[in-house]
Amino acid sequence: MKKNITLNVFEIVGSPLCVASDDGQRVYERIANAFKEERNVTLSFLNVSSLTSAFLNAAIGQLYGSFTEDQIRAQLKVKDMQPDDLALLKRVVDTAKEYFKDPKRFDRAVEEALGDGGDGPKR
Amino acid sequence: MKIRLPEIRHNRAGFEALVQLRAKAKDCLFDDIEVDMRWTNWFDADMCAPFGAILYKLSDRMNTVRIVNAPTSIDRILSKNGFLSHYGGNKLPDTWGTTIPYKRFEAKDDRYFASYIEEEFVHRSEMPKMSVGLVKKFRESVFEIFSNAVIHSQTKLGIFSCGQYFPKRDRLDFAVADLGIGIRQNVLRNAGLNLKADQAISWATEERNTTKRGRIPGGLGLKLLKEFITLNRGCIQIVSDSGYWAMEQGEVISGELSYRFPGTVVSIEIDTADKRSYKLSSEISEKDIF
Repeated sequence: MKKNITLNVFEIVGSPLCVASDDGQRVYERIANAFKEERNVTLSFLNVSSLTSAFLNAAIGQLYGSFTEDQIRAQLKVKDMQPDDLALLKRVVDTAKEYFKDPKRFDRAVEEALGDGGDGPKR
Repeated sequence: MKIRLPEIRHNRAGFEALVQLRAKAKDCLFDDIEVDMRWTNWFDADMCAPFGAILYKLSDRMNTVRIVNAPTSIDRILSKNGFLSHYGGNKLPDTWGTTIPYKRFEAKDDRYFASYIEEEFVHRSEMPKMSVGLVKKFRESVFEIFSNAVIHSQTKLGIFSCGQYFPKRDRLDFAVADLGIGIRQNVLRNAGLNLKADQAISWATEERNTTKRGRIPGGLGLKLLKEFITLNRGCIQIVSDSGYWAMEQGEVISGELSYRFPGTVVSIEIDTADKRSYKLSSEISEKDIF
């Protein structure tokens, strides 16, 4: 049994402001490396004060393009997140699942929009 | 070339005046461009972001840009927020602390931008006493706007921002402008939709739509912003290419400007007296995320 690891987001980013996609990429690479070694990861958001969808998309959303949902659910845990940040992460995850489930999503959206009268989606 | 600048308010007419200024001067090369503010009887300071972006685009064509004859009150506010110091003026101290200074960032400056918001807004005692939840939401919203510009605009000339607090009206205005390819081009290139500029903005704000491609998903930033502004009963305006789109009190208006803005502007106005906690009614468990 390989040892589980805890990744500290604040330590990886070096700031409480986790807003940049590039910083999210660094977190993603650590998680992906651990997954490839079949390690379970606990991602700690202790001392993180701000998160954006851009950061979380790069750090976590991107995982759904490389690993299965089952694998992510089994191997990744988060802790020390504020409730509204958890809610944001949940939306990022749901969006990512949809994004990677259907690679032709854009084409379908285009068809739907055009089928709506040819002038784009209605509000 | 001399150009008269009318009053600039953060509304459709204000953006219209700015794109008209740009249209008049856009072909200038190695020219002297004098922006005459003698008739500018009002200037909403947050509009320095799109104004500065346009002037930067003009100076990138090797033009020398000067701002002249600004009325005293406007000269003072544009000196306090540092805007005029980019055009030969002085930077004045902001005694009452109602300005979030005008700045230009490179697209790789996410962290610098985040520090600027912390220093110039979050940690300044003069700024409005907003609820903890509202400060967090505002901060995240402006980060989302900046990230959107970084990810989608492909700007090579930078990202411009500026803000202004109006204590008597309990309003805080903040604008971010980029000199990138604009939403219409993005939607055309990445979603294959040839929409009018205002329709493209509208498309980009809808829940399921994103121009994001590749390994990193996207498509939440503008939706989160819309949700927050709706709850706060504030206002959001987006100008991109020749498109104008605004949402106030949940109501959307959109249309075409007479000329193009050479990139995208996102401008928000929030109600700083909003007492909502922005706490969720039901909490999500850490176990239910993935």
